[in-house]
Amino acid sequence: MPKPAQSPGSVIPGMRSIRLKRPHYRRDYYLGYLYLLPALVMFITFFIYPFIQLIWLSLHEWNGYDAKLFVGTLNYQNLFSDKIFWLAFQHNLSWTLAAVFFPISIGLFLAILLSRTPMRGKVFFRAIYFFPQVVSSISVAVAWSWIYNPNYGVINQALDLIRLDQLKRGWLGSSQFALPALFIIWSWIQYGFSMVIFIAALEGIDEVYFEAAKIDGANWLQQLRYVLLPFISRPLTTIVLTTTIASFQVFDLVFALTNGGPGRATIVIPLYMLDSAFTFHKIGYGAAIAVVLCLFIFLFSLLLLRVRGTFRE
Amino acid sequence: MSVLKVSSVALFSSPKRRLQFIARSMFYTALAGAVSLVILIPIYLTVVTGLKDRHEVVANPLGLPAEYIWENIAAAWEGGNFDRYFVNSIMVTIPTVTGVLVFSTLAAYAFALLSFPGKEKLFKVFLAGLTIPLGVLSIPLFYLMNSFKLLDTHWALILPEIGISMPFGVLLLRSFIQDLPSEILDAGRIDGCTDWGLLRHIVIPLSRPALFSLLIFNFTWSWNEFLLAVVLLQTESARTLPLGLNFFRGRYSSNYPLLMAGATITFIPVMIVYILFQRHFIKGIVAGSVSGT
Repeated sequence: MPKPAQSPGSVIPGMRSIRLKRPHYRRDYYLGYLYLLPALVMFITFFIYPFIQLIWLSLHEWNGYDAKLFVGTLNYQNLFSDKIFWLAFQHNLSWTLAAVFFPISIGLFLAILLSRTPMRGKVFFRAIYFFPQVVSSISVAVAWSWIYNPNYGVINQALDLIRLDQLKRGWLGSSQFALPALFIIWSWIQYGFSMVIFIAALEGIDEVYFEAAKIDGANWLQQLRYVLLPFISRPLTTIVLTTTIASFQVFDLVFALTNGGPGRATIVIPLYMLDSAFTFHKIGYGAAIAVVLCLFIFLFSLLLLRVRGTFRE
Repeated sequence: MSVLKVSSVALFSSPKRRLQFIARSMFYTALAGAVSLVILIPIYLTVVTGLKDRHEVVANPLGLPAEYIWENIAAAWEGGNFDRYFVNSIMVTIPTVTGVLVFSTLAAYAFALLSFPGKEKLFKVFLAGLTIPLGVLSIPLFYLMNSFKLLDTHWALILPEIGISMPFGVLLLRSFIQDLPSEILDAGRIDGCTDWGLLRHIVIPLSRPALFSLLIFNFTWSWNEFLLAVVLLQTESARTLPLGLNFFRGRYSSNYPLLMAGATITFIPVMIVYILFQRHFIKGIVAGSVSGT
């Protein structure tokens, strides 16, 4: 006997499901597309199309004026033996590793302070802590160039004060310290993001779990590990992902303050990409750098989401 | 309010306990205050240095100005062309934000409440946009804008910024509209609302918090956008504030008071918006990141 057709939404076998939603007339189809049209046109013209163009350009040799010359994967081959590219990659990578540790730890510390201690003025302090996130990065660069100023900057003045003058230096002009100095500025901007995400996660934890842990004699470190961590592991992966992507896109501060120097001490991938394309007029090569950057970020995202998936099981 | 506070208040069994609680509360509040002072040092220095005399900056780099030189702001505003940069920033930011709000509301409505073939696939296309680092688009966008003959105009920034903002805007608004109580939407339909009426009279008023978050988020982003501006605006007259400030820095690298006055002019508008609406702002960031993954 053939089984009666069963629609997925029905509870009683054989009975046609009753759809509570309005029946879909053809009119809806065209209406859906109509509402979608402006967003889709903008998105395709200024996002999808340029992205395809980018890949297309990366397969050519082009100086921006003459005819494009199709060279296949030559740009990519050159890229892999390009020492400057690998240096920039190395800078971005160490930037990422530091970024996953410092701004995120500061963010977590402040989030705990704001949402799990009996302090006053929580909304007020949260607003102050988050403020660096909204300041224009070039304003930030100007402010910090003053802080790092070799003669009058806060840092060197402070070193004077505690009689450590031999440590004084032009921080952004030193090939050894320029990259860490830039990273500190960036961390000052960046921690606020992880802080607000952590706050949202922490406020969802029921106090009962902490009380239970305390009764069981857990110290604060154990509470952190066994109570807090499971609750924040999901937002944590989100933050790690976002921070990594941001680390590989670092541009504004570097461009404004050191422009890759001194020498090549602070060159990063986005800067090298624009330099190749617009300073050295190797558009195809710049495009290839951009594509490799996209690929790397894509693969990393995939990997991280996979790791998160296995942890949850 | 955290759960901890409530339970602790309920647990005050003795005056000693209560005193302990108050002491802890004071300790943490003082700690928070100290942290905020450290965080605000760069902001403080920017504003204060921008109001100092050139000689005082060297003699007294850290303290409050002995004499407030408001002329610095005026000098940067007129002499440094910040008036023009300011107007440019407004002329770029307002159309961008308007476009993003209107287009993503319409698209989010379609994705949340209408049905049409290919809906899921199209939505995935928008989602994929979130995985691409935006800076990489600057090279092809330069040639696209060049072929449109739009380089060095406001449109060179407005159009790409709208296009680039679509994934985040659509995603944020769609998840909000989807969570609206269906009873209200059904009631509207029963009363004979068309889709347009439903959108105008029910969905938009109810989505005001999400729209507001998107507005503020996008305003700040567009106001501060630098990489695209560097590539797409080459002439002096087209520069937006961050770009203008950077060029200004190259020219007056030793005149710190003027430079700081320029930096202050650049971040003050965003700061005002932030002070007025910071809750919405933070909500927007959290909502965007949580729905993003």
